[in-house]
Amino acid sequence: MKLVREMTEAELAALVGQHLRERGIRVVLSGGMCVTIYARNAYVSGDLDFVPEVFVDRRKVSAALSEIGFEHHGRLFKHPESPVWVDIRTPPLAVGREPVKQICELVFPTGTLRLISPTDCAKDRLANYYYFNDRQCLEQARLVVEHSDVDLAEAERWSAQEGQEARFAQVKESLLEAERHRKQRSAERQTE
Amino acid sequence: MLEPLLGSQDAERALLYLYCLGEGYPRQMARTWGSTFSAMQKQLARLEAAGVVYSRRLGRTRLYRFNPRYPFLAELQALLARALTFYPEAERQALLMQRQRPRMAGKPL
Repeated sequence: MKLVREMTEAELAALVGQHLRERGIRVVLSGGMCVTIYARNAYVSGDLDFVPEVFVDRRKVSAALSEIGFEHHGRLFKHPESPVWVDIRTPPLAVGREPVKQICELVFPTGTLRLISPTDCAKDRLANYYYFNDRQCLEQARLVVEHSDVDLAEAERWSAQEGQEARFAQVKESLLEAERHRKQRSAERQTE
Repeated sequence: MLEPLLGSQDAERALLYLYCLGEGYPRQMARTWGSTFSAMQKQLARLEAAGVVYSRRLGRTRLYRFNPRYPFLAELQALLARALTFYPEAERQALLMQRQRPRMAGKPL
């Protein structure tokens, strides 16, 4: 096993997720690190936001993370060999008003990482754009669409459910363009 | 009214304040309810960690609002609206009838 200081952020996320799961705490990665993973490092996050599937006592989380060298700083956790912060959030795992239904798994040498899907990741970023007018998150949503398979029809349906149909319409063309870039790159790779 | 559910009277008061007035800071809420700043701040921090509210710094003040991303927000607000109808008229008026319109800087009260 790699040393923590040599791990990528995704490998560290897999280590944390796998270890917590082995201690009976089932968590799903959400937030900015999913953007890093799905946008192929075009965006760099500095923290790991995990959401437990059910409510879990923070003392249990703290005890489990201390077994792999993490120390708690207030409500966050940090390994002395890594600059990455770990946040164990309060359930439920949701994007806007809807529960997250699809959980993806990625296998790393450090463990199996359970995380939200590329589509939910893009929706999660769009939620921050809709509700907090955060244009950085709109750009992150676009990056996810440009590098991963996002179901834009589902994003449009969800946006309407959130009462954000008009805001989605404003950004739809930009997202479709990102999708075209991804498909074009994919086609070029296949012909090479 | 909702203390048995929320586990704290100050949590209920903070949420009712936000429901009625849209935003607020701990000292203002504590003054309205005759509570203490530290008790209100503690409950708001707990609600923020749970994703129910969010905060922004405005100068030296931390201003709280409902988190529009909280998945049970509509249901919570419906519950708060119902709870508010059970409050004594005087308390309800004290909460609702606070000055919200702007006051120009330098204008005497």
